[in-house]
This record gives sequence, structure tokens and C-alpha cells, in this order.
Amino acid sequence: MRRHRDGVIAAAILTPMFLFWLVVSGFPTLFGFFLGFFDWVGLNDKPNFIWLDNFAHFFRDPVYTHALWRSIWLGGLVTAVTLAAGFGAALLMNLPLFGKGVYRSIWYIPAVTSTVATTQVFNIFLDTNNGVINNILKALGKEPIVWQYSASWGIFWIVVYSVWKGVGGAALIWLAGLQSVDPVLYEAADIDGAGRWGRLRYVTLPGLKPIATYIVITSLIGAIQIYEQVLFITNGGPYGQTEVLVFRIYRDGFWDFNLGMAGASSLIMGIIVIVVTVIYYSWSTQSDRRTTIPVKPLKGGR
Amino acid sequence: MNEPLRIKWKKRLAPIHLLGHAVLLGFGLVLLYPLVFMVLSGFFNKTEFMQTILGVFPTPKEPTLANYKSLILGSKDAAVTTYLANSVIRTAYNTIWALLTSFLAGYVFARLKFKGKDQLFLVLLATQMIPGTLAIIPTYLEFARFPFAGGNDVFTGGTGILNTWWVYLIGGPAINIMGTFLVKQSLEKVPIELDEAAIMDGAGTMRIIFGILLPLQLPIMAFIAITTALGTWNDFVTPFFYTTSDGLQTLPAAITRISSVGASPGAVINYPMIITLSLGITLPALLIFFFFQKYIVQGLANTGIKG
Repeated sequence: MRRHRDGVIAAAILTPMFLFWLVVSGFPTLFGFFLGFFDWVGLNDKPNFIWLDNFAHFFRDPVYTHALWRSIWLGGLVTAVTLAAGFGAALLMNLPLFGKGVYRSIWYIPAVTSTVATTQVFNIFLDTNNGVINNILKALGKEPIVWQYSASWGIFWIVVYSVWKGVGGAALIWLAGLQSVDPVLYEAADIDGAGRWGRLRYVTLPGLKPIATYIVITSLIGAIQIYEQVLFITNGGPYGQTEVLVFRIYRDGFWDFNLGMAGASSLIMGIIVIVVTVIYYSWSTQSDRRTTIPVKPLKGGR
Repeated sequence: MNEPLRIKWKKRLAPIHLLGHAVLLGFGLVLLYPLVFMVLSGFFNKTEFMQTILGVFPTPKEPTLANYKSLILGSKDAAVTTYLANSVIRTAYNTIWALLTSFLAGYVFARLKFKGKDQLFLVLLATQMIPGTLAIIPTYLEFARFPFAGGNDVFTGGTGILNTWWVYLIGGPAINIMGTFLVKQSLEKVPIELDEAAIMDGAGTMRIIFGILLPLQLPIMAFIAITTALGTWNDFVTPFFYTTSDGLQTLPAAITRISSVGASPGAVINYPMIITLSLGITLPALLIFFFFQKYIVQGLANTGIKG
């Protein structure tokens, strides 16, 4: 009787939410995956079912393979730098410093700012004619650099921006991990005569393993999908040499109206993310999973 | 009294502590620098900004509050106040829905017993992992072909709900998965006896949900509210891709349209206007952050670690 009544209440509450979710998220995502099997260029054109041709094209065309490869190593690079810097900061934030709350806030501030707004400030720094960095170079008697002509500088600034924005959040999650290590273990280590380094090596690092797997995986999943900073800082240039896969999807869909290729690329990106998640699940032990959950890092608001 | 104080100071001046202060403060200021630059640039008038050779800390010869004022009083050059109002309305709408749906759905998954509950919840968590950006194009197509809207017969003929307020309104009531998860996790720590006692006293489901359980979850609700609000506030995707008319733009979308992404190729980028609009986004976000940072720090730890 109780169970039946519960079921009715659950259905009454969840059904409308699910219907709205289907309209704005569930259905478009599935629909996007299906697009990959069609040749469909231009919104008024008739879609044409072509099996796996788009996927074959994806792996033959260097525009796509390079974008995919760039997504992977750029994502790896951003994750590595952000997490390493965040970990260092968290170790220091974990000291009983005077005013440590202020430091935590300062470091997290970039994360609450709008990508659109702050990338524009970066663009002012990088402007060719009146950019702050070039003005400094000129004042020092050096040649100004046209950042926009160089793929390496483009990537460099995308990484700098991503780390700037992500490091505070990473530090806070690391810090939560550091504080979740059982203090009794530190006392035991002290009794055994471990120094600061010994405590870090034998207590902190093993205790951090679950949170470390969690943060590496979620950061990586987020970082291989970076595209907003690419869009606003380099816009894919020069000559598409800083395009990443999600940026390519946007480009296909909204500039070239190649909906079939956009769908195929989406499906490939989706599969990569799912594979990474599954690897995380089979890799992490039962106890890891009890302490951490693969929820998306905070972002949202669609 | 003297002795402990000296020990305290000795500790504070230990080399590792000094290193901590130096690094955290030094890099912290570097992290803040782009925002300081933005605020300083806000004091320039348009022509002076274009003519000044920008240094590390640009200071105008004739500082003006015009940019800051135009955020409230409006500007001749762009519908700044319209963008701001749209941003505020959209943010408030999404936040209210996120609070309501997260709490109700969290209650369902934490407290009610029905068949397939755990499986359903796992499916929900799994869908979170699918990249949201991938749905932009299909959503555009779906909105364009929305049945019986915007001059459509069943699927074609008009522009559907593109470029209407429906684009903003339709997403609100959808289930908020992260919020649901957080509420579920937090409610599971509240003893079920509380509900049972309330039922004994004759309370109905609504009274249990809103009168008894909700007040206990205020920190987690604050966290959901802040993250949803900041996420919506900073989002440029929805307004930029699904609307075109000036009256529907929010601040981030308005910037996108005059930045190198949306402006016609070769056009001179209107950085002073971009700075004004950027301040309009950034300053309120910072205010929200400062008032509620306690909940952000707490909640951030909760999303990663089961309490």
C-alpha cells in the first residue's frame, strides 16, 4: 500500500520534469547522435541516409583527426597544469595560515567570472596594435609579437586562460581531500617519527587516492571539451591550427551547416567521454567509489 | 599571556608559513589582475581608451563614471539596460526552478520507495556525462521546427520558438540532475523517523516536504541556487545561438555579438563597450560570490566527496 502511494507521488513529481528534460536535453542529444548517419548540409537541404560515411570521412580528413588529437593533448595539458598548481596551492592553504580564508576566496574568484567577459580582457592584453603585453615589449625595446599569427602562442594563451580559470576550483577540491584524511593517521606518523615529507609521502598521498582519481577524471572530461576559450581567444586561427573537436562541431553546425559531420563528431566525442568514465569505474576500487562520485564539475545553467 | 602569544608569533613566522603567504598572496594577486584591469579600464571614456597606450595599470587622465552609470541608466550606444534586465530575469527564473525541481526530485529519490528507483537514478547520473555542447545544433533544429509555434504548421513553415522568450522559459522546469543528487545525498542523512513522526501528527506530503525537510537543507539549497545563478548569468550559448533580436540578448550574448566572434570580419572591435558590458556581468557575480562563498566552499567539497 505504502509502496503504491509512493509510486504515484513519485510519478506526479517526476513526469513533468522528465518531459521538460526530454525537450531541452534528452531528445536533442539523441537526435544529434542520429544526425551523424546522414548527409545533411544546409538547413533546407533534404537529409540523406549514408550509413557510416561521415565517420569514415572523420578519420580520413586531417581537419578532424588533428582537431581530435588537439582536444586530447590540450585537455591533458590543461588538466596536468591546473591540477599540479592546484595541488601545490592546496598544500599551502592547508597550513594554519593567518587569513587563509581570504586566499581561498581570491584563488576561486576567476571561476565565478564569465568566460565571455574575461577572455575579452585577455584579448586586450594580446591585441597587436595596443595590447598590454606588446606595449611592454615595445617599451623594453623588443619587437612586438603578432600572437594571432602563431598557433603555438594561441595554444599557449588558451592554456594560460584555462589554468587561470580552473586552478582555484582544483585547489578547493584538493583541499577538501586533504582535510578528509583521518587526523589519527598523522598522529600515528608523528609517533613513528615521520617528518613533514614523510607525512606527505606515507599518509597524505595514499589518503588522497580516491579524490585524486575523481578530480583527474572529471577535470579531463571537462578539459577535452574546452571550446569557449578557443572560440573567444583564437577563434580557431591561424588557419584552423588551434581548432579543437568541440570547436569544430560548432564550426560545422553554425558556419558550414554541415549537420551530418557535426553529428558524427558529436557522437565520437560522446563515445570518448563515456569510455573515459567507464575506465574510471572499472579502475577505481569499490572503496574509492564509496567516497567519490562522478558528478560533473560545477557548471551549468542552460 | 605573554608566553603563548610568543609561540603563536613564532609559528606564524616559520619559514613554511612565510612561503605559504608569499605564494598564495603573490599568485593570488596575479589571478586577480585581469579583473583589476577590467575595473580600471571602466574609468576611461571611449576615445581616451582607444588613444591611450595601455600599460599594466591603465589610468585615465580624465576618469569618468559614465561606463558604470550606463549599466544602470542606459547608454546611447547599446541597449545595456535591456541586456542587464534580460540577464536578471533569466537568472532568477532558472534559479527558482532549479531550487524547486532539485528539492522535489531529491525528495523522491531519497525518501519514496518505488520500483526501478535506483536504476532510474543511475541513468540520470550517466546522462550528465554526455557533453552538453553536443546538443546545441540539434536543439537549434528542434526549436526551429517546434510544432505549431512561430508560424509552423506541424514541423515546418516558420521559425518555431527561435528568437522568442520560449527559448529561455522552456528549460527551467527540466530536472536539475546535479541539484537532485546533492539534495538526495543530504536528505539521506536526515533520519526517516522525522517524517514518520510528522505523519503521526497528521502532516501531509507537502507539509513534510516544505515545512519540515526543506528548512533543514538550506545550506545545500543555497549552493544549488548560487551555482545555477552563476551558470545562467555567465551563459552565452542559449541567447547567442537561439535568439537574434536585440531585445532578447543577455549581457554575455551581447558581448559575443560585438566581439571578434560575432562582429563582421575586419571590423574594429569596440573594446570600451565590451568592457562596460563585462563589468555588468562580472561585478554582480563577484557580489554573489562574496555574500555566499561559505556555501560555495562547502558545497564544492560535497560534490566530490560523499559526506
